[in-house]
Amino acid sequence: MAKQIQWETSLTTTKGRAKKEKKLILMDFYNNL
Amino acid sequence: MENSFIPLQIDFNKNKALVKRYSIKWTPTVVILDQDGEEHHRFVGYLPPEDFIAQIILGKGKAEFDLDHFEQAMQCFQEILVRFPKTEGAPEAQYYLGVAKYKVSHDPKELKLGLGVLQRDYPNSEWTKKAQVYSLIPG
Repeated sequence: MAKQIQWETSLTTTKGRAKKEKKLILMDFYNNL
Repeated sequence: MENSFIPLQIDFNKNKALVKRYSIKWTPTVVILDQDGEEHHRFVGYLPPEDFIAQIILGKGKAEFDLDHFEQAMQCFQEILVRFPKTEGAPEAQYYLGVAKYKVSHDPKELKLGLGVLQRDYPNSEWTKKAQVYSLIPG
């Protein structure tokens, strides 16, 4: 079974995590029609 | 993917500040950012899985390239060419692979070699047109 993606919702928090974990950020803008 | 990226999902209708900051006009838009929030790659619209994965790896490669991590960038571009050679991202990866090789070696022949591969494998790509000028490099 595919692993569920745990999405972050705050860029500020994500930047902090990215710095700590030395990762890039994949930011997805979505729209619930 | 989780080894390289932290996924961040932004509701287009609820976060106007980020929509404005990154000039988002349509969804889905996927943007690859570094740790400071600087953009390195983006793509718009729904893609088949192979193209989607290739674009994500391309984004990682371009971020590494922009950050002067050329060896890591080359690994990404080569991975696209091996795993997803028929995707739209492949000729762009080939273009940047040649440029990254030049950045490491300082040998302009790498640009010309890259053009040769583009002409052979992706003759109708815009990236082949962009590299055409390298045909003027001697040798």
